[in-house]
Amino acid sequence: MSWFSRLRNALNPRQLDKDLAEELQDHLERRAAELAREGQGHEESKRNARAQFGNTTRLLEQSRDVRLWTALESTLQDVRYAWRGMRKSPSFTLTIVLSLALAIGANTAIYSIIDAAILRPLSVPDPGTLFRLSYPDITDPGATAGPDRDWFSYPEYVQFASVAKPSARLGLFGASGRVKARVFRPNAPIERINGAFISGEALDLLGIRAALGRLFSAQEDRLPPGPAYAVLSHEYWQRRFGGDRTILGSKIFVNGKAYEIVGVAGAGFWGVEPGKPVDMWVPGTQYAAEALTEIDWHWAHILGRFAPGASAREVQSRIQPSFHNFVVQVSKRFPTLPPTIRQQFLSSAIQVTLAPTGVSDFRKTFSRPLWIVFGVGAGILLIACANVASLLLARSTARSSEMAMRVSLGAGRARLVRQLFTECLFLSLIAGALGWLLARVTGPLLVRMLSRESDPLQFDLSTDTRVLLFSIGAAAAAALLFGISPALRGSRMEPMHSMRAASGQASKLGLGKLFVGFQVACAFNLVAIGAAFLFSLGNLLRVDPGFNPRNVAVLNVTVNSPDEADWIISDGDKRLLEPMAQLEERVKRHAGVQAAALAWWPIFGGTAWSEQVILPSGPTEHEEIFYRVSPGYFAALGTRLLAGRDLAAADHVAPEPSPVVVNEAFARKYFGGVNAVGREFSYPDHDLKRRQVIVGVVGNAHYASLRKAAEPIAYFPVQGANSFTLYVRSGLPLGQVMRMVERESRAVGTNLEVHEVTTLDTLIGNTLLTEKLLAGIGGAFAFFGLLLAGIGLFGLLSYSVGRRVKEIGIRAALGARRGQIVALVLKDVGGLMGGGIVAGLGAALAILLVLRSLLFGIRAVDPWVTSSALTIFFITGMLAASLPAHRAASVDPLRSLRDE
Amino acid sequence: MPSNRSKSAQNAIDLLVLTVLDRRGPLHGYGIATAIQELSREALRVEEGSLYPALHRMEELGWIAAEWKASETKRRARFYRLTKAGKKQLVSESERWASFSTGVARVLRHA
Repeated sequence: MSWFSRLRNALNPRQLDKDLAEELQDHLERRAAELAREGQGHEESKRNARAQFGNTTRLLEQSRDVRLWTALESTLQDVRYAWRGMRKSPSFTLTIVLSLALAIGANTAIYSIIDAAILRPLSVPDPGTLFRLSYPDITDPGATAGPDRDWFSYPEYVQFASVAKPSARLGLFGASGRVKARVFRPNAPIERINGAFISGEALDLLGIRAALGRLFSAQEDRLPPGPAYAVLSHEYWQRRFGGDRTILGSKIFVNGKAYEIVGVAGAGFWGVEPGKPVDMWVPGTQYAAEALTEIDWHWAHILGRFAPGASAREVQSRIQPSFHNFVVQVSKRFPTLPPTIRQQFLSSAIQVTLAPTGVSDFRKTFSRPLWIVFGVGAGILLIACANVASLLLARSTARSSEMAMRVSLGAGRARLVRQLFTECLFLSLIAGALGWLLARVTGPLLVRMLSRESDPLQFDLSTDTRVLLFSIGAAAAAALLFGISPALRGSRMEPMHSMRAASGQASKLGLGKLFVGFQVACAFNLVAIGAAFLFSLGNLLRVDPGFNPRNVAVLNVTVNSPDEADWIISDGDKRLLEPMAQLEERVKRHAGVQAAALAWWPIFGGTAWSEQVILPSGPTEHEEIFYRVSPGYFAALGTRLLAGRDLAAADHVAPEPSPVVVNEAFARKYFGGVNAVGREFSYPDHDLKRRQVIVGVVGNAHYASLRKAAEPIAYFPVQGANSFTLYVRSGLPLGQVMRMVERESRAVGTNLEVHEVTTLDTLIGNTLLTEKLLAGIGGAFAFFGLLLAGIGLFGLLSYSVGRRVKEIGIRAALGARRGQIVALVLKDVGGLMGGGIVAGLGAALAILLVLRSLLFGIRAVDPWVTSSALTIFFITGMLAASLPAHRAASVDPLRSLRDE
Repeated sequence: MPSNRSKSAQNAIDLLVLTVLDRRGPLHGYGIATAIQELSREALRVEEGSLYPALHRMEELGWIAAEWKASETKRRARFYRLTKAGKKQLVSESERWASFSTGVARVLRHA
């Protein structure tokens, strides 16, 4: 009986009872009819039929038990059998379960991140009708189309929202940012939470209900802004306030502004950007005044929901005219924009794309690498399956006499296949469970690997049943993959043949060889790819950044406005430079500090100021990076001065043409050589041109990425700013530097506050997260795949040597020397590996060709990558072969022949 | 699985059922019972009801298959037929039975 009908019986015993009763009734009636035909009376025939039949109830019960239990019983028997078999050879079982568990665990861990970051829809009602607005990225003409941009200004949002009606409702979603918050309660500490600005109807549009109090409404979008309100996330409310319902009406003090808590959003909702959960939402109208009016301050995403029946095309055509208006307005601000870019810019169109999974910058960077790593993980699973299959195959041959015995005792083939298959399923489910546990531990580690310290990702990896289903699915697929052929093989035993073969001819290893060859191919593939990623990372780390990043602490400091709220001054104000310079001086004097310097923001931090370069001969088509630094910056970072002089203290107030220092790339690009001192250029500042004169040329230094060739940079003298970066080169530990700078900040007296401390090495490392992910995981998986392939090779070789003991014995008896016998085994290895390596090499080349854009300094056909992979494989093959070869060589001809 | 019956009696019933289904083709339970009685000339007259647990057990083992069909009386009846596995079982069982009975016969003759 099939599994299906058994399951049906077990789930629906009433139907079974009915069927049984009907069958017995049928029998009784027929018997009664027969008896009646023989001349018995109606009642009599019925009674006799019953008597002949026996106890109906007991039989019904018996039959029912048979139906329900026989099959389940035989399954249980299979499981018991499997368990007993596993306990009998624990090392065999351990090898299988561990290798599968590692493979399933690795896959599950990666899948859990892919699921959380890429696949899982937002936890809002009906996410399928959500869309996001975006536009093509044209800042880099000539480059291949990158990901689109989806940051908009507040005026754009207001315009789009009004024209999109009635086809769609739009909502504004600012990025989730770390803010300092303090609750107005006794002894409340200052803490860092994630806050986000949103529009009044944004939460309502998503379908979020309030768990407590109220959410925002269109009221909050009115200008000028009314009283400041805040809505907390359910999770933050529980975590921080223990679900205290009296929280409503209390104030929370964020970045110097008090907000009244008016509500808590429904449970489970954390925002629209996976990995960036929001603790507190605040109306966008509470943001800085310029953020609400500036059309080129792009700080928020726009998500919308289609009205029933509305199409993306409809919404697009409603918004496009106003989008175009904005583009025209923005382009007017850049009168010197090169015509090709201007053309591209003016013809760009707004895009409306479905966004059930929300918005995510993480996704833009990491979705491709994550899928690659996932593919590598699948490769590992395949290798593990092939490995287990060949192990099982070897064992099924070893168990051939047991199987033969059972076949000759009358076991059906289907029964044997089922039993062998139950074993596989049992093994892989144990492995699946272990793998799932492993993934729960390693998943968060993986996320940490992809996070920046200052802005950690917070993915919810734990609570998803889809991940659990994934590991069960992976385990079942594995069982199918590795179980099928050994099961079929094992059951195909010809009893006579195999019982005789206890002595006889070694059965062929064909299938086993195929599995090992497949493993070698996969593993070689992984090793080649892993090596490519590792070499690629190595190449990047060997790039000379143009400065010495060791032992440089990077401290970001804000100059807080004093309590008088009207003392708001903008960047460039001389009053702000005073405390900055004081702090730098005090830190420099400290023992252990070798150098210190100021800048407006750190390099390799994602912030850049770039302007068009205008030469005396006319405007160029290029924008270059401009960076404001204090005198002594080059010495502090270890960038060489090639010509002229460093910036001086008085340079920031010098009249135009004001002094600047440029790097070698800048000098070569615009002035044809290093000797550019005294040359002039200018940049557009609204309607003015700011004239600069070059006073020095420094060596090239990377600004934002190690990947690109060193960019041209112009260094401007630092001016006063509301926040700035202090570089400190010293041999002191980071914590000590931080405490020292904090002490000095207090000593300076104005409201200086150190709020982010890191090192230059870390900042550079943050730009290499993708490469580190690929190299780390690719390398680890390559090693794991190699190990599995090695085990597979070793297993098959020792097995084949075991089977050929007699043949080897005869050869030895006939005078074969040790070397010849070892060569015999090595020939096997060569044969096994050769085909696999050729196939693997071909596949690896094809894959590397596709992955080229992620590699650095590696050619698709890279001699280093290929030769190192070959070397690694050669060593692995030798290691795997050495023990079996040794065993073969020490076969004693006398003993092996006597065994006959 | 509750079964008070001795193994050999079970084996005998199995063999009879398989033989009947092999010779006569698909039959319902009543048909099988009467066929056994007929063929054995009433010598084997077991409690008719005990046939059903045996049928269901063999069905679970995959030796026979069953389906509901309209019978000649226009009523639904459960028809059993021999499967491939059942056929194999029949061959090996009857061989065993034959060698067992010739063995017994030989002993009886030469004792």
